[in-house]
Amino acid sequence: MAAAPTTDTVTISINDVEIEVPKGELIVDAVKRLGLEIPIFCYHSRMKPVGMCRMCLVEVGFKQPDGSVRKMPKPQAGCTLPASEGMAVYTDTELVHKDRRGVLEFLLINHPLDCPICDRGGECPLQNNTLFYGPSTSRFIELKRHLPKAFPLSRYVTLDLERCIQCGRCVRFTEEISGDAQLAFRFRGANMQPTSFQLTEFESKFSGNVIEICPVGALTSTKYRFRARPWDLETKPAICTVCSNGCSVWFDYRVGKFVRLNGRVNEAVNEEWTCDRGKFGHDFYNSPKRLLAPALRKEDALRTANWAEAYAAILEAFEPGGNAVAALTGPMVSNESYYLLQKLFRGVFRSNNLDHRWTRHLSAASDRLESKMGMPTVATSIEAFEHKSAVLAIGTSLADEEPILFLRLRKAWFKNGTKVVVACDRDTDADSFAHLVLRYRPGTEMALAGGLLAAAVESGRATVPDPVREDLKRYSPSAAASATGVPEDRIREAADILGPNAAIVTTHRLLDVADAQGTLEYLAGLAMCLRAEFNLYALGANDQGALELGIHPELLPSGVALADAEAAAEVGRTMGIEIPREPGLGTHELLRACADGRIKALWLVGCDPFALHADRDLVQRALEGVEFLVVQDIVETEATSYASVILPMLGPAEQDGTYTNMERRVQRLRQVIPDAGDAKPAWRIFAEAMLRAQPQTPFFSAEEIMEEIARVAPAFEVARYDRLGHEGTRL
Amino acid sequence: MAETKLLLEHAHDPSYRTLDGYLAKGGYAGLKRALGMDRQAVIDQVKASGLRGRGGAGFPTWIKWNGIEKDKHAPHHFMLCNADEGEPGTFKDKQLMEETPFLVIEGMTIGGYATQADTGYVYIRGEFVDAARAMRKAIDEAYAAGYLGKNILGSGYDFDLHIHMGAGSYECGEESALMSSLMGERGMPRLKFPHAPLPTVAGLWDLPTVINNVETYAVAPFILERGGEWYSTLGASTKNSRGTKVFSVSGHVNKPGNYEIDFGTTLLDLFALAGGVKGTLKACVPGGSSVPMIDADACSKAVIGYEEMAEVGSMVGSGGCIVLNDQVCIVKFIWRTALFYANESCGKCTPCREGTRWLLQILERIVKGNGQPGDKELLLEICSQIDGRSFCGLGDAAAWPVVGAIKAFPQEFDYYIANGRSMVESDLVLVG
Repeated sequence: MAAAPTTDTVTISINDVEIEVPKGELIVDAVKRLGLEIPIFCYHSRMKPVGMCRMCLVEVGFKQPDGSVRKMPKPQAGCTLPASEGMAVYTDTELVHKDRRGVLEFLLINHPLDCPICDRGGECPLQNNTLFYGPSTSRFIELKRHLPKAFPLSRYVTLDLERCIQCGRCVRFTEEISGDAQLAFRFRGANMQPTSFQLTEFESKFSGNVIEICPVGALTSTKYRFRARPWDLETKPAICTVCSNGCSVWFDYRVGKFVRLNGRVNEAVNEEWTCDRGKFGHDFYNSPKRLLAPALRKEDALRTANWAEAYAAILEAFEPGGNAVAALTGPMVSNESYYLLQKLFRGVFRSNNLDHRWTRHLSAASDRLESKMGMPTVATSIEAFEHKSAVLAIGTSLADEEPILFLRLRKAWFKNGTKVVVACDRDTDADSFAHLVLRYRPGTEMALAGGLLAAAVESGRATVPDPVREDLKRYSPSAAASATGVPEDRIREAADILGPNAAIVTTHRLLDVADAQGTLEYLAGLAMCLRAEFNLYALGANDQGALELGIHPELLPSGVALADAEAAAEVGRTMGIEIPREPGLGTHELLRACADGRIKALWLVGCDPFALHADRDLVQRALEGVEFLVVQDIVETEATSYASVILPMLGPAEQDGTYTNMERRVQRLRQVIPDAGDAKPAWRIFAEAMLRAQPQTPFFSAEEIMEEIARVAPAFEVARYDRLGHEGTRL
Repeated sequence: MAETKLLLEHAHDPSYRTLDGYLAKGGYAGLKRALGMDRQAVIDQVKASGLRGRGGAGFPTWIKWNGIEKDKHAPHHFMLCNADEGEPGTFKDKQLMEETPFLVIEGMTIGGYATQADTGYVYIRGEFVDAARAMRKAIDEAYAAGYLGKNILGSGYDFDLHIHMGAGSYECGEESALMSSLMGERGMPRLKFPHAPLPTVAGLWDLPTVINNVETYAVAPFILERGGEWYSTLGASTKNSRGTKVFSVSGHVNKPGNYEIDFGTTLLDLFALAGGVKGTLKACVPGGSSVPMIDADACSKAVIGYEEMAEVGSMVGSGGCIVLNDQVCIVKFIWRTALFYANESCGKCTPCREGTRWLLQILERIVKGNGQPGDKELLLEICSQIDGRSFCGLGDAAAWPVVGAIKAFPQEFDYYIANGRSMVESDLVLVG
């Protein structure tokens, strides 16, 4: 392993030009300071250098006291050589060019000449390096190595072994970045090949990344194979909206159709990685079940309608307003759309019956940690995890729920030795690098959280008010141990590991467990006492945005509680509406009200309650019981068959808008793919409905809405479009 | 010149393989002396002896021993013995371990004491079952008598010695690949200085590590017993090679086997020790299959010594001296050598992985009678693209024999390519 770069600098010369670089910086990186490039295959800046491919060979010498340069007898690999004082590097000598031709000739002798049908053709590092540095012909007349051309490593990754140049990037990715160590080399010498263990399925939650880092067309995407040529693709920056991490990605589309997603560099969020759920999870754009035109139920059948008919029917049905109408939302809707939806409901329909939450436990506004304990529930940025000394991940399988945060946490452990405590009722991927694993019995989260706090109090590291101390008696570490099945010494050790530079992480998944409120309060209390950071991360793409912008029966945009009459009225004035005083119902109550007919009209925005809610029976009764059901979605779902009106909605990448990820980072997604059919952005649907209900100046763009959001919820001031940076901005 | 017997003096005496027999022949005198000395003084004795690594590279042993950072508070320091003797033509370590195991163990203990190592590993080639058995038996005896383990001979020095069997890869004889293999990883070489710290700083499990060849360790007891000064008088006629060297002489000699000689002995004297050449001497690969071969003329001028062998265009290497008479077709010989290296390339770096296969393919084509004009030059070109470009020495080791053979016997290649058959009429069959 190369020496870690320090703040000391050294003077080296590159092609006789002197330059100061950080001591220990790898030569392959140092030359970039002069605008030069050393060709590479195996080197990847986010992984340890290995020096396997030898493409980066350069001549290296050292300055002698008399000023002359004594060259080392052999050329050196620039990707593994750390800069040291007096080093003289030559990247442009006759010898270096000869060596590059030599290495490329070697790489090409067994590489098939199937570029014309290769997915990588046109964006292939081997092609590029050959064009720039390679020999124009080959002297190889022997038989090339022949191997399987399409070996299915997994359902996502297909391996063409003939094209492999054995650079080991994929193997190292699974060892160093994703940590599942699913790939390794087998056989020796010219027969060496990357493979999964005993050729079993390459099971990784991050397998798609190896397709991108493969410098040839050996690892190909099963879905994208032979679908397009790179030069036929249009590529635009986008944000992945599959989960709450909000990764920066590239959308590749061909003739208006989405075909491929690749990772885009965003050091603050995903560095350059993607998870498989995101990389391969955008099929809905091309789904045959896309909703492309509004539909209206007439004589018991859904018939295609135009937008005017749909709006007229909706406004009539929602006219009663107040407690008789409601809206539920899914996570894949933009900030602007959420804002306008709540404005429509509160301003036009005079109703607070709005919710975006689908967990079993729904904290009442007064129970929220922000109001009850004055504790932010999102404190740590993804990037900040790298520098945490300890992290407690409790009640969550990070690789499944916050995959990119998982990678960052693994990096923190791998590079900086962060101690990770994993507390979960089942095996998680993070166990593999956990300092401590607390495996508790399902349903005993609260006992464990209480036990951790009690252990911290017992050890004298945390002080709590007397009532809490009294309350904690039932969760002494030994009591917690017998309740949870976690050994007592582990509970104590876990509490000892946490401190001021620690973070406690959990997700909305914890809201599904028994005693969620008590668990959260103990955890937040633990963080508070130890001056650590507490995080309750959202799971859906824009769940955090929905919460911040008032898709909540008791909360208004910017988190103002409805109960706070004065503040609520002020928010209403800024929005230009009068906010109804009566609080709305939470999701479960709301569905019950639909079922027993108290709610007459329900608007579903980008959500299928059958998929999101735990109680299918209740959902069915609700959708059957409600008189008028609007289903506004991207694709057909189970709920659409119950609809009175279907409104086709555009997907996130088909419209302009911003999304707030779980670390409260607002990022902008511009329209990447053309509109699908007659579908409209959600915000436009709400704006048009508002306009038809009450004459007013309509919103013409998402940007205008954000201007208003920034006035209503000042935290969003930084998210105005002219201020949003390349990496987005945290609220 | 007669054979000097130092390491091999009691090799054929079965009692020497037991602790009692070893002690009766004066064994462990070196360790006893060392334990009474300051650690640095032990290293100084090795420095004075002029001992250089016997594994092939000839690196001064004392520099490695001295290189352990003494002030570093590493939890462990390791002493590794490279017993993965896989160089074709070399079989000296096998005999040393089978017949003089206590020399190796004593040498490692001395080295361990000098470098503060608490643990030693003997990485034995997987096929050397007998050698491993002999070493195992000797280690057990040494433990039982207090020559290994806690508080060795009451000195307060603790040293544990373990055996690890290789799984059959030539590459694992490369010191950094050996460490990878020992750690349970794939047997591939690791980055070396200046790309990474020296093993003495970060070796096995990134802890300070010294690694030496079996023969190097076997010499240490004599240096400590009789003094570095005395050892340096052996081979004093050479430029910078001191002491004795065990050569494994094989091929066309009447008495193939291991012969221990002083540096400064001529190559022809070594042949004479081995009963003389069978038939007419044609060529010799003096230091194991990876060193360039030299022709009969060069053999007659060659003096055994690290610098002296370089003068005739070859190397001492590991001491695997392969003697070839005029019945040998050099092209076929080199094809068989190339087959070995193509099989043993670990695959890590491009030049060695692809180059060794290409060399083999061309040589195979020539041997089958399908050589083409320009093949000889192409072979040399490919070798130049491997030599010095590969990740570790294996690439160089694969290229040198080809270059050496073409330089020494260009006419044989030309003839074979032009006529599709060998210049040498012989009954010798090489098995690929």
